[in-house]
Amino acid sequence: MSGSTKPLHRLDDLIDGRLMSKLDQLDVVSRKIFSGKLHGERRSRRRGQSVEFADFRPYAPGDDLRFVDWNIYGRLDRLFLKMFLEEEDLSLVIAIDASASMRTGNPDSFDYCRRLAMALGYVGLCNQHRVSMLAFNTEGIARVSNLRGRRKSSELATWLLQLEPQGASGFEAAMKAAALSRLGRGVMIVLSDFMLREGYEKGLGMVAGRGFDLFALQVLSPQQVDPSREGGVSGDMKLVDSESLGETEVTVTPALLKSYKERLDGWCGGLRQWCARRDVTHMVVESSVPVETMMLEYLRRRGLVR
Amino acid sequence: MILALTWLTPFAGAILASVVIPPLLALWFLKLRRKPRVVASTLLWTRSLADLRANAPFQRLRPSVLLFLQLLLLGLIAVAIAQPESTGLVETGGRYVLLIDRSASMNAMEDVDGGTRSRLEIAKDAALERVDALLGGGFFSAHAGDVMVVAFGARAEVRAPFTDNVADLQSAINAIAPTDEVTSLGDALAIARAFTTNVDPDRPDRTVAAPAILELYSDGRLSDLAELTLRPMESLVYRKVGTAKDNVAIVALAAERPADRPDDVQVFAALINMNTEAVAVSVQLAIDGRARAITPEPIQIPAAAIISASSSGGAASFRPGSAQVIFRPIAQPRDVVIEASILRKDALASDDVAFVVVPPAKRLRILLVQSQGFVLASALDSLPIERVDHATGVEFDALVAAQTPLQYDLVVLDNFAPKSLPSGRYLIFGAAPPLPELNVYATQKDVWCRVTRDESALLRSASFDELFVSTAVATRPSKLWTIVAEGPDAPLLMTYDAGDTHAVYVTFDLLDSNWPFQRSFLNFVANAVDVLGHAGEAITAQGVRPGDAIALRLPAGSADARLTGPDGLSVAPKVDAGGNLVWGPVLRTGLYDIAFLEKDKAERGVRRVASNLYSAEESRVEPVAEIVLGVDAIAAMDVSNERRSSVWPWVLGLALVILVLEWWVYQRQVRV
Repeated sequence: MSGSTKPLHRLDDLIDGRLMSKLDQLDVVSRKIFSGKLHGERRSRRRGQSVEFADFRPYAPGDDLRFVDWNIYGRLDRLFLKMFLEEEDLSLVIAIDASASMRTGNPDSFDYCRRLAMALGYVGLCNQHRVSMLAFNTEGIARVSNLRGRRKSSELATWLLQLEPQGASGFEAAMKAAALSRLGRGVMIVLSDFMLREGYEKGLGMVAGRGFDLFALQVLSPQQVDPSREGGVSGDMKLVDSESLGETEVTVTPALLKSYKERLDGWCGGLRQWCARRDVTHMVVESSVPVETMMLEYLRRRGLVR
Repeated sequence: MILALTWLTPFAGAILASVVIPPLLALWFLKLRRKPRVVASTLLWTRSLADLRANAPFQRLRPSVLLFLQLLLLGLIAVAIAQPESTGLVETGGRYVLLIDRSASMNAMEDVDGGTRSRLEIAKDAALERVDALLGGGFFSAHAGDVMVVAFGARAEVRAPFTDNVADLQSAINAIAPTDEVTSLGDALAIARAFTTNVDPDRPDRTVAAPAILELYSDGRLSDLAELTLRPMESLVYRKVGTAKDNVAIVALAAERPADRPDDVQVFAALINMNTEAVAVSVQLAIDGRARAITPEPIQIPAAAIISASSSGGAASFRPGSAQVIFRPIAQPRDVVIEASILRKDALASDDVAFVVVPPAKRLRILLVQSQGFVLASALDSLPIERVDHATGVEFDALVAAQTPLQYDLVVLDNFAPKSLPSGRYLIFGAAPPLPELNVYATQKDVWCRVTRDESALLRSASFDELFVSTAVATRPSKLWTIVAEGPDAPLLMTYDAGDTHAVYVTFDLLDSNWPFQRSFLNFVANAVDVLGHAGEAITAQGVRPGDAIALRLPAGSADARLTGPDGLSVAPKVDAGGNLVWGPVLRTGLYDIAFLEKDKAERGVRRVASNLYSAEESRVEPVAEIVLGVDAIAAMDVSNERRSSVWPWVLGLALVILVLEWWVYQRQVRV
């Protein structure tokens, strides 16, 4: 249950068997066609689904006769070559914001990110994609790369469980490192609250222009979305920034809450527009939404998985 | 009630403020330390705040319970420190003499909060408050000086000399008991001046210290105001007590036995009305405590009139409405106590009742010493007396020598000069008695009476005009003697009153004159027996006024007297060997019983004395708005009918409660 505040210690804490069985049916979808590193290595176990027909073209000398469509030749007496989408492995990169700001809210945003990352990674592993993850903050970038196959689930979980958020996000440096890495082109999912004083534009721009099919999942806690909820702020308070430790004294009034929500809408709207212009999929994810619902409904609807 | 915020104790107020304000400031500082809350990012919050501040250059004052409570708290503390105090009194510091009137009019009842309290109680409460204000208040008080308490009615009495001991002053004020005396301020002023005027021996025209401030707690009905003036540098604050003015009083009550019906008692009463409207009252007559008669119709008493200054030729005068009541004669042969009471409720109750004691006909016992003939014996026998005993001169001297108390109301010495005369009452004929300063120097012959004092009770219906005396003792008495009749050279009749000895001395032997043949002789003997036999008792039948003493002559040898009176009074006054009893002063009106044990009698005798107010001045209970002492007109300052206590401790207590409430509300708001 994603709403739980129970600390994460085991694989089961990240993803339980029931969810696994449901995720087994899913695959990560890329809206782009990437050339994989391992050409033709992997065929689908279910033949009808794995061979994706793309187009025909007239035969040219030198073409592989195995791809000639003999049925059409029988009817038309001309040679046509069947063109299939190349079956390549898909690179799935998940970047997790491990800054201190993610360790706030109830449910905890960082734990939610880890569960969501685990679910997405599990889907990728099950579908023999190359799954890489990186967690970033100002202390550095932790990564795990090129995991493939379901059996790597535990390794992925172990890596996720040892993450601990701290410091600021170091978003720009992390995105730069991801862009320059040899993780391969593919689907990249960034999990962050994108509440960055330095702005998200530069960092996202580094990966958005590198051929990734980029998804920006903006994970916000319920208290970030509506501070008047239980566990939020009220009365006379001194707000401490979890990353900069800067203090802001506020007296929470309806007017201030209204202004905050307008500011939040503006911030999220700005991110959405920025992403839309760059063909980046943006989603606001509230950490109170169960991971299962997120995977099976929201992300499916948005085309990240199917 | 008007309260003025005066700084009675500024120094203590500053201490209080220094105790209260720092915690309040600390509270404010604590409030600034807001409850910290870690949030993901303050980015949006700071921008939102900036938005609000940009849009509102002045923050709108938001209705806040905390703000209200804190303002209330500060206000209450300010009020508490200011120590609200009633207006009108002088500033603190110096010495004060509280003159508390305890006269009869101070027993008038005032309506207070649905109940009634006497003016004296209200005055005492006001005096206690004043003492509290000047000296009390514990930690928060400032030492303001010394206070002296004087209670006065007909006489003044120092209840507490100058002191700053609040407990002593409070107990002194609380111990002031009501009296029914008339009011005399002069005595109180004299006593106050005796304590306050410290004369410098070198500069007798100046005092060492400034005179104390006199504060008079009274209704202003002071009988001797016209005779008083304030001295230079003296100041007097008149605190008027009371507002009631409705009163009808009995100012005289008399009882007589009609000459034609000696067994009956006829009662007369005089009533006065102090109200400006006519009233109708019923008067009840009780004999020995049992109601016997009531006026068949209410007595109409006209309204009091104020004679204006122009018509009276001087100051405006007050003339109460008056009426007389005559009751039908009541058959009552023996001694009785008659009580008349007005059946109407008014402010002053003590003048609504009056008593009169109708004494029994007293039978005297007389000792006739060495009577040479029948003249005196027959004259005495004709009088209504109990017994006449006879003794020779030798026997009398023996009695005196034995120092045996004489069991006689009167001793008649018929031409006998004893060796000595003990205290007693004597009617002496002929030989000069051994009384002081008589100065016998010769005898006078063939004397006619030349000068008489006809106003003397001895000479009622007893003319000396035809008196001829062949031989008389010539004396030259001193001023101890009062000459009633005298011949050409020396007195013929004189009286002696000194201490317990009363004597009437006729300087000639009856047989040396033609007096026994005249009617005036019998009248003289009857008068002399009456005067001497009842000497000192005339007041008893008439009653005593509050403030006077009861003086009785009980049968000689009486002892173990017990006097009981109103308000549960019970005392044992002393009786001397001659049976004289003096006790006083009488403070309350009412009936006083004196029981005593007569010598050689098993039963206790009882005498009764009535004390009545009979004072139009005291019965006029309407408080005076302004008293005039010489040229100083002093306006009254009202004393509240209610006993007020200091307000500030309550205000401070409320402030502390508000403080706790405010802290609680604050804690609730920050606890999210």
